[in-house]
Amino acid sequence: MAAIETTGLAKRYRRVTALSDCTISVPQGRISALVGPNGAGKTTLLRLLTGLAAPTAGRATVLGGMPRQDPGYLAGIGFLAQDIPLYRRLSAADHIGIGAHLNPRWDGELVRSRLAGLKIPLNRPVGTLSGGQRAQVALALTLAKRPRVLLLDEPLAALDPLARQNFLGALAEAAAGPDGGLTIVLSSHLLADIDRVCDHLILLASSRVQLCGDTEALLEEHRILVGPRQDTTAIGRTHTIVREDTTARQTTLLVRTNGPVLDPAWAVEEPNLEEIVLGYMRQDGAEDGGGPAAGRLSAVGGDR
Amino acid sequence: MTWVTWRQYRYQGALAAALLAALAAALVISGLHAAQVWHAALSGCMKDNRCGGVSLAGPAVMTLVVATSVVPLLPGLFWGAPAVAHELETGTNQFAWTQSITKRRWLAVRAAWLLLAAAVLAGAVSALVTWWSGPDNALSRDAFEANRFDITGIVPVGYAIFAMALGICAGVLLRRTLPAIAVTLAGFAGARVLFAQWVRLHYMTPVTVYYKLTGSWAPKGSYLSVSQGIVGPDGRPPTGLSSYVFNGAPVPAECAKVMQNPAPCMAAHGYRAYLTYQPADRFWAFQGIETGIFVLLAAILLGVAFWVLRRRDA
Repeated sequence: MAAIETTGLAKRYRRVTALSDCTISVPQGRISALVGPNGAGKTTLLRLLTGLAAPTAGRATVLGGMPRQDPGYLAGIGFLAQDIPLYRRLSAADHIGIGAHLNPRWDGELVRSRLAGLKIPLNRPVGTLSGGQRAQVALALTLAKRPRVLLLDEPLAALDPLARQNFLGALAEAAAGPDGGLTIVLSSHLLADIDRVCDHLILLASSRVQLCGDTEALLEEHRILVGPRQDTTAIGRTHTIVREDTTARQTTLLVRTNGPVLDPAWAVEEPNLEEIVLGYMRQDGAEDGGGPAAGRLSAVGGDR
Repeated sequence: MTWVTWRQYRYQGALAAALLAALAAALVISGLHAAQVWHAALSGCMKDNRCGGVSLAGPAVMTLVVATSVVPLLPGLFWGAPAVAHELETGTNQFAWTQSITKRRWLAVRAAWLLLAAAVLAGAVSALVTWWSGPDNALSRDAFEANRFDITGIVPVGYAIFAMALGICAGVLLRRTLPAIAVTLAGFAGARVLFAQWVRLHYMTPVTVYYKLTGSWAPKGSYLSVSQGIVGPDGRPPTGLSSYVFNGAPVPAECAKVMQNPAPCMAAHGYRAYLTYQPADRFWAFQGIETGIFVLLAAILLGVAFWVLRRRDA
């Protein structure tokens, strides 16, 4: 069963389109990397899933329910917003109290033991903690809700590399925890930060979905073809060319394969996830503006 | 949510309680002194109506008493305006409104406690000031005047509820604390001036009394004057030598010769003085009406705030 499903989800503000025709599906239990350049619509998508924002078109289903302002719905999701907003003058202990008063399933002990393990003081105002400590407090608070879907918006942005490792470790541990079936969507503009823990990927660029799927399947489907400079029409007939790099002597292609590549003119290499993501993002950057290429890309994203 | 509200406002609450205690101490001490002076005056000068020079309190205390007219504004300004705006500004609403509670309920509980706190604070200060003003009102018969009416009785409670609702609503609409504070300040001051200067005079049909120009007359107790002047036998104010004025009206031509004391001449020609006013016994009715209007305005503002909060993305 898909924990998160959206169909044609769109969000328009007065002048800008933040997200358009977003159709994704995240199976239960996945840790999904939501990646894309700044302004791609990642925050908008997450806010639509929390019910903090309402879509202008399309629909979303999370855990079988529509995102909305409803205690029952909200109890199932955990949301960590960008810039990790907490009440700066209140302590972690105060936040634990707030959570205890506002949530039906609340595990305050979880926060206490987690923060004790990280040696983060419970009684200091969170405004006086370091960015990494604040992020850990916020994550612990989000987990204490015992959510079944966890939506994290750029939680790593404020953290140094060591804190990132700690944070991701905590996340992976939570996903593997006794509750099971915890679905996590984690946004970042850098895939490299999170691909270690993720087994699912959503790529947004220019407010559209470029890719959505399990990382294994994506790795399986994509190939890098390297060969002498040549015409690519033939290969484009069987496979989808995501990106084409041509130098004076050599052509390099990122293709979404449709069966094995048999043409001996090409050396076939297996790309890593980052190469795939960059391939889609570069192509988008080169042809920004919603030309025919953009249409083709949304079809690629949409066929899953 | 009640616990949450208390947790977030406990320092402000403690500060308000401390300020209230200080104000209470000052008013009780000076009020007891004023009462003493008043009682001495009752048995002395009041008998032969020579109390012009009696001073119930020094200028500092008098200023403090009049200054309590801003008390109803303060909770709305410093707690109401930031109540939602500060959360939106810092993004903490995203934390609060993704707990298992709707933003609507979150605001309902917070607004209810803030309104109650504002009402209690303004009510306590007003009770003190009303008690303090007893001798002063009796001596100066000023209970119905703006500046006195506004700080006694139950209207301060209405003002405080209005200010709080205005602050919350401005915060929801503007989404930023400082502009919300500015709008609350301007809106509150504007509404207060508007009501004190114009609206209040017309809550009930005023009473008009005509009296002889040669005599003088004043209603009993603390009345609210709507207008006064002179009318001729035709019921119109005199027209005439406008550079010569008697009791605010031009002296009519027929009395131009007795410019130094035109009253007997004007009276002989059928001119009368009049006073249109709201009698003293309407004080509490007016208190009730004005409080009701401000509470109603507050309800409308809160309705707008909830409606906008529901419609808008958080």
